[in-house]
Amino acid sequence: MRQIIRRREIVNDELRYEGETLEPGTHSVPTASQWLATPEAQRGPALLLRETDEVELLASKLDGLRWIVVEFAKPGEGRGFSQARLLRERYGYEGELRARGAFGRDLLFFLARCGFDAFEPKPGEDLDAALGAFDSFSVAYQGGSEEIVHVHERAPGL
Amino acid sequence: MIPAPRYVRAAQELPEQAVYRYDQVDQTLVSERVAQFRDQTQRFLAGALSEDEYRPLRLRNGLYVQRFAPMLRVAIPYGLLSSTQLRMLAHIARRYDRDFAHFTTRQNIQYNWPRIQDVPDILAELASVEMHAIQTSGNSIRNITADHLAGVAPDEIADSRPYCEIIRQWSTLHPEFSYLPRKFKIAITAAPADRAASEVHDIGVHLRRGALGEIGFEILAGGGLGRTPIIGHRIREWLPQADLLAYLEAILRVYNRYGRRDNIHKARVKILMRALGVAEFTRQVEQEFVASADFAPRLSVAQVEHMRGFFTPPPYESLSDQPEPAGEGASSARADAAFCAWYRYNTRAHKVSGYRIVIVSLKKHGEAPGDASAAQMDGLAQLAEQHSFGMLRVTHDQNLVLADVAQRALREVWQRLEELGLATANIGTLTDMICCPGLDFCSLANAGSIDIAKQIQSRFDDLDYLYEIGPLEIKMSGCMNACGHHHIGHIGILGVDKHGKEWYQITIGGSSAPPAALGEVIGPSVPKQAVADTIAKLIEVYLRERRDEGERFLDTVRRLGIEPFQERVYAADHSTA
Repeated sequence: MRQIIRRREIVNDELRYEGETLEPGTHSVPTASQWLATPEAQRGPALLLRETDEVELLASKLDGLRWIVVEFAKPGEGRGFSQARLLRERYGYEGELRARGAFGRDLLFFLARCGFDAFEPKPGEDLDAALGAFDSFSVAYQGGSEEIVHVHERAPGL
Repeated sequence: MIPAPRYVRAAQELPEQAVYRYDQVDQTLVSERVAQFRDQTQRFLAGALSEDEYRPLRLRNGLYVQRFAPMLRVAIPYGLLSSTQLRMLAHIARRYDRDFAHFTTRQNIQYNWPRIQDVPDILAELASVEMHAIQTSGNSIRNITADHLAGVAPDEIADSRPYCEIIRQWSTLHPEFSYLPRKFKIAITAAPADRAASEVHDIGVHLRRGALGEIGFEILAGGGLGRTPIIGHRIREWLPQADLLAYLEAILRVYNRYGRRDNIHKARVKILMRALGVAEFTRQVEQEFVASADFAPRLSVAQVEHMRGFFTPPPYESLSDQPEPAGEGASSARADAAFCAWYRYNTRAHKVSGYRIVIVSLKKHGEAPGDASAAQMDGLAQLAEQHSFGMLRVTHDQNLVLADVAQRALREVWQRLEELGLATANIGTLTDMICCPGLDFCSLANAGSIDIAKQIQSRFDDLDYLYEIGPLEIKMSGCMNACGHHHIGHIGILGVDKHGKEWYQITIGGSSAPPAALGEVIGPSVPKQAVADTIAKLIEVYLRERRDEGERFLDTVRRLGIEPFQERVYAADHSTA
């Protein structure tokens, strides 16, 4: 059973990707283009966003979604940070926003600050050890996601 | 609910030195970054992180693995340094390096011989004086390039340093823009002379004043050097102060989403802009700017004013201007002539009467341009405390500045700089050249730079001849990454590798001053031993063709084009024909 980090806890993954077997209680994750091509009434609660997918296409269709998985296909990939911020801050998406792909614990802090609340790092990453990465910084200069509560400590009056 | 961003801290006691001082948040952030990097380095040394995994982590903390040893690049935010910080840089040179360091064209400083295992300790020492190496490399927003005369230059419309610090904080560990397609450089200038080379940056920010005296900005984007040099285009004529960060975010977001990631050589924003066209790129930025109005950061007047409080003028004495030195004084005539030359070439007018700006030459003939020894740094720190309110600046052409020297102290400052080997009266002349570390240190370089600099220094060692030639900027890069800004040198020198041999391509006519221009290649590259000779031929043509002494080399090239220069360099040698 694959495990992921969700809101600083290690949990079993209930999402299944292309080629994986659906079991009771799990949900398949079509790509965003597959999902968009599906008639509205039959769309599932999860989709996978590739780096080049335009979040704008999902703008008015977010209500039924519980999981958006953003793929980080290669090390150094950074488009997902902007996709996340737009989904959260421009389009008000409130379901789970999950980062999946070629990153290790060192990206978790940045990802969480952009609005991701669930994480599936690269295979082999020690999830227990990775949990500490959310505490890499207790302060930040920018506004950011409420998912990291402790970075909100700021000088009074600001 | 998304919290408001924090770009300035609450009111507190302001420092005597005109420099931003860390509060608890700043100090915590830098200290936590040291701890994070120590952990990353330990995991690498223990084998838990592969070289491939460690590389992007160390790069975004300025640590390169170079030809012979690691190189650590330390940030000097917008080139501003206190004497305490300079002493620390000297200490690090002494303790962890070989007693010297190299000031760069990005107004930073580089150490060429630290050991990887020592780097976390070096960073911890830096943090103790409010310094760091954050984002001095990697595909992130780099150190802000600034006017090294900000706050003292007579020609500026306002002090740009508060905006530099605001942008420094905004860009530091920015969660959305830390994994960009490529590095990203922002320059700010508030003076028409543009001493920050803003037209060849990813973003150039020009302070402007509106009809009511309010500050706003003109925004350029898409400039850059490297393999594909491009002059930036204006994309916004007037941006209100409050929108500065929001607009920068709009540019960065368009770039982060649509900049190419498939080819490192086509990944800068200038390439995206060229592919889209300036109008379409601008349209996308403007659209993003409008669409993100609800959540983009806004600068309040109070925030800017608070930041301005850190950069108030030092306690100048009420002094009147003294006459320029011209042969007066009790010392020997020869020493006096040397002082007068130094005054003329290495000092600049100050906006406060009775004061003068002193440029400290790191271009002594026989030394690598931009290098300073630990002893020189310590000596300068002391000099800054005695004669320049404890502050120094780093210029993008690799010199240092004592910005606030009382005119009556100039002779003493000159003597002390002489003793330190920092008074070569060559600022703005041919030997005040920009030079990257080149093949001697850099693993990217195709050819040596320092040897060439020394060859040129030795060929043009006569200061009187340099003065006769007049203002001339030579900029030299050891490879097409263009750290030495060769494209915008009046004379540019680019090191190339030809079948394992070092050759040098020469360009003329470049300039970073408005209107910025890229130099034109004069012809096939020349072998290493012929570089200084080639420059001598260019100078010969210039001295022959110039209309009068007021016409600079650059002006002559612009007037005549490159042909007469080409002809002299590549025609059969007339003297032996």
